[in-house]
Amino acid sequence: MHDFIGLFVGAFLVQNVVLASFLGICPLLGVSKKQSSAFGMGVAVLFVIMAASVMTFAIYHNILAPFNLQFMRTIVFVLINASFVQFVEMFIKKFMPPLYKSLGIFLPLMATNCAILGAVLINIDRRLSFGEAMVNAFGISAGFLLIIFIFSTIRERLELSSNIPKGFKGIPIALLVVGIMSIAFAGFAGMGS
Amino acid sequence: MESGMDIFNVLGIPALVAVIIGATLGLMLGIADKFLKVELDKRVETIQSMLPGSNCGACGHPGCGGLADAVVEGKGKLKDCPPLKADQEKLIREYLANAEGPNGERLDMSKV
Repeated sequence: MHDFIGLFVGAFLVQNVVLASFLGICPLLGVSKKQSSAFGMGVAVLFVIMAASVMTFAIYHNILAPFNLQFMRTIVFVLINASFVQFVEMFIKKFMPPLYKSLGIFLPLMATNCAILGAVLINIDRRLSFGEAMVNAFGISAGFLLIIFIFSTIRERLELSSNIPKGFKGIPIALLVVGIMSIAFAGFAGMGS
Repeated sequence: MESGMDIFNVLGIPALVAVIIGATLGLMLGIADKFLKVELDKRVETIQSMLPGSNCGACGHPGCGGLADAVVEGKGKLKDCPPLKADQEKLIREYLANAEGPNGERLDMSKV
């Protein structure tokens, strides 16, 4: 039990997928202008990571490993991720059309989101058991959700503030904010080890 | 004979595994698509095929599909499309005047 908590905190805060491992930056900057769409993106990524982790774990250990095809894990995992992203896209298009419109191109782009591929590859490369892999995947995806949501709230406020220098408006100040958040999260380094 | 088996082991099994996994996932997505299909307004597709199709964006919408969407929603006008010739516009107007949307209503032609 203690191991699981350590693993979760490690994936959630210490090795945060965005601020420590620098994965999934594209949706972080692309979909963080509005709180609601940022939250939607975070939940979509959470679902895809969890579903893809179950699927990739099963396929890796039951199909790829017995045939000595471990070297094919990246291409097979991309295939699985893309399928789940496609499914999520259909689901959101059907049941949440406003979210579908606000996510725009970033929804299909999730298929190439390195946070998702990173999560499933870390699960396999660290030789985690099924339970550990699930905890790790949940920590990573919850970390992504947390950061993209916090970041969107900061960005909404930045839009309103009037004392940003002209040259820093928009993306530059957003990148600076990510940098400062990353430094803040460096404070977690070493925790739980 | 033995080298033939080697080639099958090196190339055949990986290809077979990839094809089987891909086909299974594709089949599952196909089934999901049946249940999650979104009913689209058929008029959008028809108007899009009747527009010039150069996707120039001069109307201010993202391509001809964007204009077709906007026209059906009552937010865009056909005269915004510079390459659209008068006789083509007349054909689209005739079509829209008689075509019913998914809710059985027709567009107000004065706004198109």
